[in-house]
Amino acid sequence: MPHAGLKTIIALSFVLAVGFLLVILSCALWHNYHPLLVVATYVIAPIPNWVCGHCANPDDFVDGSGTAVVVDLGRFCTGFLVVMGIALPIILAHSDLISVGAMAMSVVGGLLIYGTIISFGMFFQEEQEF
Amino acid sequence: MSDDRLWKFRKPAWMNSAAARTAGVYGSGGLFSLAFYTFLDSAIWSKSSLNGSDVHVTFIDWLPLIFSSLGMLIINSVEKARLADDSWSYSGSGVAWKARVVLFLGFAALAGGMAGGVTVFVLKYVVPGVGMPMMGMGIENVVANALVGSSSVVLWTAQRLSLPQETKLIRWMSMETGDWAWGTKNQWANLGYRRGRSETNN
Repeated sequence: MPHAGLKTIIALSFVLAVGFLLVILSCALWHNYHPLLVVATYVIAPIPNWVCGHCANPDDFVDGSGTAVVVDLGRFCTGFLVVMGIALPIILAHSDLISVGAMAMSVVGGLLIYGTIISFGMFFQEEQEF
Repeated sequence: MSDDRLWKFRKPAWMNSAAARTAGVYGSGGLFSLAFYTFLDSAIWSKSSLNGSDVHVTFIDWLPLIFSSLGMLIINSVEKARLADDSWSYSGSGVAWKARVVLFLGFAALAGGMAGGVTVFVLKYVVPGVGMPMMGMGIENVVANALVGSSSVVLWTAQRLSLPQETKLIRWMSMETGDWAWGTKNQWANLGYRRGRSETNN
């Protein structure tokens, strides 16, 4: 991992702010607050991964492949939630609950927010000892 | 790699990396999400103001998706290693037989869900001659069930990728006998040592 410094923090927080701006604008411009669900989705998306990562005992390998099944379950749920964040605005727009402009803004904003969360985790991950 | 392979083309090396396995599991979750929200889209659209017709998504439309998801859950909950276990003393009492029966039920539910999706599409949308924007609800039903199937295929494949053998030696103490010995992770796992105290040499 590249060394993370102050510039990284500033850049990440800037991107996060732009992401939130886009999502909130997509709600406020049309006075329709459904797209806020995207933020909630992306905020809870890393949680299954994190919880299951802590549940897995590093000495516990149930199958021979060296990865515990609980970790796979967490990854599955995280993958589910990430795609959900993109799918929700599209569904809402398809049923005319939000406009297409709001859909585009909330998808882009949501991806920015999730990208920030992921890169924050990657930059500031502590080295794990087995 | 073993030399007893059947096909001329060998599996590319990247397919056996841990990264490919992780990507497969994430991708499987994404595909399942896509399936669920494809179907949810049809259910929401059915109740929205855009749907001017009398055709609505009811519980009948949900059933195929429920069955395919149930099938996927069953298939991927079975420990695949138990399938070939009957000759092995550690897993007596016919575990492999049970695993085959449960897997069969899972595949039946998955295939039944897919067939059910097509059935609903034909009986509810094609035969009465429903027009196109309403027909989309039936198409989304079929697509969602196909996506659940592909999601479970991806998950199954990812979990069966053979990872490069770990060669790091670990010292293990058996909880039963209290003996210490050296071996790799997989050797201990194959011996049935699930838990114990471990020390690593670097």
